[in-house]
Amino acid sequence: MGGELGTAVAQILEVHPDVDEIAGVDFLPPRRRLRRASFHRIDPRDGERLAAFVADFAPEALAHIGVYEPHARMGPASAEERTEAATAAALGAAARTGALERVVVRSGLAVYGRGRGRPSVPDEEVPVAPTTPYGRMCLDVEALATRVGRGLGIPVCALRMAPVVASHVPSPLGRLLRLPVVPVPAFADPAFGLVDARDAARAAAEALLRAHDGALNLVGPGAATPWQAVRAGNRLPFPVAGVGWVVARRMAELAGAPLPLHVEEVLRHGGTADGSRAVDALELEGLATSQEVLTDLYEWATVTTLRPAEAA
Amino acid sequence: MSPAAGSVGIDGHDYGIDVDRVQTPRSALEMLRSRISGRYLIDPFGADPQLQDFVLPPLVPLVRVDVARPRNLPRRGPALLVANRGLGLSEPLVLGMAVRRVTGRRLRVVGAPDLPAVGDLVRKLGAIGAYPTDLRALLRAGHVAAVPLGPTWLRTGAGIPPLGLLAAAVGFPVIPVAIRPGGPLGLPVRPWKVTVGRPLELGARDLHDPLAPAELAEAAREAVGRLLAAG
Repeated sequence: MGGELGTAVAQILEVHPDVDEIAGVDFLPPRRRLRRASFHRIDPRDGERLAAFVADFAPEALAHIGVYEPHARMGPASAEERTEAATAAALGAAARTGALERVVVRSGLAVYGRGRGRPSVPDEEVPVAPTTPYGRMCLDVEALATRVGRGLGIPVCALRMAPVVASHVPSPLGRLLRLPVVPVPAFADPAFGLVDARDAARAAAEALLRAHDGALNLVGPGAATPWQAVRAGNRLPFPVAGVGWVVARRMAELAGAPLPLHVEEVLRHGGTADGSRAVDALELEGLATSQEVLTDLYEWATVTTLRPAEAA
Repeated sequence: MSPAAGSVGIDGHDYGIDVDRVQTPRSALEMLRSRISGRYLIDPFGADPQLQDFVLPPLVPLVRVDVARPRNLPRRGPALLVANRGLGLSEPLVLGMAVRRVTGRRLRVVGAPDLPAVGDLVRKLGAIGAYPTDLRALLRAGHVAAVPLGPTWLRTGAGIPPLGLLAAAVGFPVIPVAIRPGGPLGLPVRPWKVTVGRPLELGARDLHDPLAPAELAEAAREAVGRLLAAG
């Protein structure tokens, strides 16, 4: 609940009349004020404490948003460790209470893998075959949640999200695209989709409230390309090919925007998907387009200087 | 926020550009300005409609096409055109021009190669990869697509139908099309002749039949063969 997405999901559920009580855990505090939900600061690696809290709360519905994207808020090793620990502790403890009725987990389009011989716009029927550590991490989370769901006979929804980027959201893709000079593929300009953080939260809340069963792709309408993104942000493109990506990865890291493999995959091979099933099943009308999300990424609030009131 | 018009998340009218219908190209200066600012539409399949409207119109007068039974081409909604082809890219290009002239729509040709630079370029011009999933998503979004049958030497008849791709089209209108060159070996002696057949009928009860794709493929091959034989 501490991330941008978790906080937004809690805020949506707070105002829903059918939701009695909301509790959330994370290792970071919520990003916005929560009126009704209670927050408990627990590091996901402290599995015992996390499991004890979940067992005590005995949730009927579980939204597992704690799938940490490498280089969003922590390094790849730490992200994997926290994701594994949080998933096992939360799902395991919730399942053992016997009260669990529905589960929603965060996943990513990275589960499909990209590259030659793979469809560019996969739907949920396409066999998953991740080609990056983040994709495999998402798939592991989906697999564990599905096993729990099958064991208990309850619906489990995996939301396979396109990259969630915005000027205020920690995201490796967003951070990279905001560098003054951005690495782009020299001989390609593949399309990728993005999703707005508010839309992602809305989808997670709707999936939970509707008890949707099965995977859903979540991606904003339309697409963007690396070269287009660079121009939209008024950045300089740095064309890269072949082994040049190794150098680009190192340079980006030195510039403060590490380039994890799943983001490199998006830049080099694209990353769109057919999100029509989620729109229909969750009635997600008016999703922000990928282009609007991209525009939002480069929009910074203007600085307003507040002058102290003059002494009377 | 713009509404999500397409079912695969294609917004039909972003930056004043329609992903399905051909538009009058903007001035070179206006286009240059939008390219520099990065404010132009890209659809999830990688198509760049603004680039298409700029690049393709000069080719239209160069490709002479006579279209027979043009009423069979759909003015709106999803449809899959199944057409014969020889070796090379002439038939898809001719069919694209025919659809453009008759209906004002952008034809999405299936078969973009997975090659650097070339693959991306043809995707920008409207092609999609030869993957059933991509085709299904395209049809769900309401586009008109074309699947060429297997190539035949000297353009003598209908080639082998791509079964996997046609399986993705079950449930959507499938229209056979015959394309004949204007001269021997595709030389532009006379205009190309495009004959559009009636949509193939596949009863509602057949939609979930595992043999439906094979029957559809065979029906498409036979229909294209008949159109070619009829001259």
